[in-house]
Amino acid sequence: MKKLIALAMAMVMAFSMCACTVEKTETTTTAAATQAATQAATQAAAETQAAVTEAGPVEISLWTYPVGDWGKQEVVDKLLADFNAKYPNITVKVEYLTYTDGDDKVNTAIEGNAAPDIVLEGPERLVANWGAKGKLVALNDLWTADAKSDIYASVETACHDANGNYYEYPLCMTAHCMAINKTVFEETGAWQHVDADTHTWTTENFLKAVDTLYNAGYANVGAVFCSAQGGDQGTRALYNNMYGGAFTNPEHTEYTMNSAENVKALETLYNTNGINFDASINGGEEADLFAQGVLQMAFCWNAATHAGRTEVIGDSFEVFPMAFPSPNGTDVKLCGGIWGFGVFDNGDAAKIDAAKTFIKWACDENTLEAVKTSGFWSVRQSVADPYADNELKSVYGTFMQYMGDYYNVIPGWTEARAAAWNMLQQIGTGTPVQEAADAFVATANAAAGK
Amino acid sequence: MNKNNSAKIKSRRLMMHETLTSYAFMLPFLIFFIGFVIYPMIMCITTSFFDATMGREDIFIGFGNYKELFADKVFWKALWNTMIIVLVSVPVTCIFSLWVASAISKMPVVATSAFRCIFYLPVVTGSVAVTMVWKWMFNNYYGIFNYVGTATGLIDKPINWLGDPRYALGCIILILLTTSVGQPIVLYVSALDNVDKALVEAAEVDGATQMQAFWKIKWPQIMPTTLYILVITTINSFQCFALIQLLTSGGPNNSTMTIMYYIYYNAFKLYRYGYGNAMGVILAIIIAILSAVQFKAGQEK
Repeated sequence: MKKLIALAMAMVMAFSMCACTVEKTETTTTAAATQAATQAATQAAAETQAAVTEAGPVEISLWTYPVGDWGKQEVVDKLLADFNAKYPNITVKVEYLTYTDGDDKVNTAIEGNAAPDIVLEGPERLVANWGAKGKLVALNDLWTADAKSDIYASVETACHDANGNYYEYPLCMTAHCMAINKTVFEETGAWQHVDADTHTWTTENFLKAVDTLYNAGYANVGAVFCSAQGGDQGTRALYNNMYGGAFTNPEHTEYTMNSAENVKALETLYNTNGINFDASINGGEEADLFAQGVLQMAFCWNAATHAGRTEVIGDSFEVFPMAFPSPNGTDVKLCGGIWGFGVFDNGDAAKIDAAKTFIKWACDENTLEAVKTSGFWSVRQSVADPYADNELKSVYGTFMQYMGDYYNVIPGWTEARAAAWNMLQQIGTGTPVQEAADAFVATANAAAGK
Repeated sequence: MNKNNSAKIKSRRLMMHETLTSYAFMLPFLIFFIGFVIYPMIMCITTSFFDATMGREDIFIGFGNYKELFADKVFWKALWNTMIIVLVSVPVTCIFSLWVASAISKMPVVATSAFRCIFYLPVVTGSVAVTMVWKWMFNNYYGIFNYVGTATGLIDKPINWLGDPRYALGCIILILLTTSVGQPIVLYVSALDNVDKALVEAAEVDGATQMQAFWKIKWPQIMPTTLYILVITTINSFQCFALIQLLTSGGPNNSTMTIMYYIYYNAFKLYRYGYGNAMGVILAIIIAILSAVQFKAGQEK
């Protein structure tokens, strides 16, 4: 009997740790039905917008990923004070997410019927994930003719699904780039390979610069980081641009990572002294190592990454932002980041209406302040460079002209990202590039087809 | 006769009253236990037969998840890695703990307490903090292991400890060992203190060596503690998760992928709840079998 009890206890202990059951209380309808209901709700909400917001106090929740200072309470509190000065009947309660556990929190909330009213993030989550699963309200009514003509076409394309339903109303964007240690480049003579006026370089010159640095004694010039946990847009942009490859087809239906151009780029990187495939660091850690002067170039970089590391960098060296290398230097296609708002369909028309009011205030009425809070640039052509008086920021602004296709909305993105890390890890440990790339494409396309 | 019956009835009433009172005291825990252990356990088993993911109705697929699981190369790799962790860490933890406990239990009380504190520190220190310190020490670029290794000539060039499949799992096991030995040492010190000293002295008077006294007198008496430590350490090793999550995310090339991390990855990264739960069931069965074997072996001893 004792043995039986002891065995049962052991099983219970084992189960208690590994049980990952999530109670599913929500009854989902078919996608078409959801869409129809959503559209009907949206229309109804639009019709009653003014009446509801003026009817009485409404409390809504806003969950923000750390999009610049939208992740800082003291800054967002000030924005909310301005919002409440105009809309005193809407209270916005904010929860600040991180990219480490944000997805888990949101998804757990969705499963528990406790999703926030508004979430601030990009199309890969809002459109390709939660929108595609029918969790968000279509924001078609916010996309007026004026908005469509003002917002960049590439941004608009990323904000709606194949049926034309908009699940994101965009606020800001940036072009992810790379950075080099100008001080070391000048000291070693690698600076001659950089087009300092346009912040661009050809693939040939990029490789020459790496070679120069390596021969000057810098064993760790750059790192193709691949331990997971974000920053993957940097490495993707590097190997996609080097010989004009693409991550997906233009229709965003298939992954094309195993193309001749991409394979050549990865083989070149693997065989280049000074470039290490490092499975022990992620994008953030790579940026830290660059800021500490350990690496001489960073592939995971943008204006916000720079701003967050100015204290670490100090006066030790000068950071010089660069576009990724491409065959002729200027045909580069940078990966963009687009951030905006999505509204969860929590079944409360008053809250949905209040959420839309907040979004319109942030994106249409208070655009400049809201954009500057993000540290990025407006998605609207009518909004001038918000950092015209800031020389460094203006440099990053020039990269907007190189903004490439926003392919992150392809289905199966989550699995594809994880598979991409694995592909780089395999290449780093000697697996033939074509074999690793083929395996990635098979996995990613299978996920896209589900 | 009547007096006897009356006494029996009173006794039964008293027993019933005591039993009910006992259950009443246990009730809050029982509710918690059923709600947060038994119920999730049942749900885990149930969901493993469904294609369950976020945002749509669960679809019953019978043993579909299990079939897929046994054809999944990463699962087998994760199982293999987990077995290596268990097979290395469990015996090493037990032997090292017993050795340390034997050594410090003979010391003065103050010294014994001091050593107990030192070895127990990693247990009470936050696992994230401990792991981050190890991460710095293993760092490819400025870690102390590479610094000492290159400075002393033990290694020619820095080793990417956590980024190289040849070393990553070994590093994980090493860290796991440092955080696992604290509790067994404390338990062994306590068990060794409880060994009947008269028996040990008698054996020594009869000419038994220290080793003979240990194996013939002490070892049988600390066997229940050993059994407990074996079971707990085995379960902890099977459920190694935080280290993997914080240090390697299962990489490179799945070389540190464990069952627990693969469960997490499928359930909470890919939102394949059914598939993750099927793995959870398999893991629980493996742990139960191993525990049964350990209990059986302990019983025979």
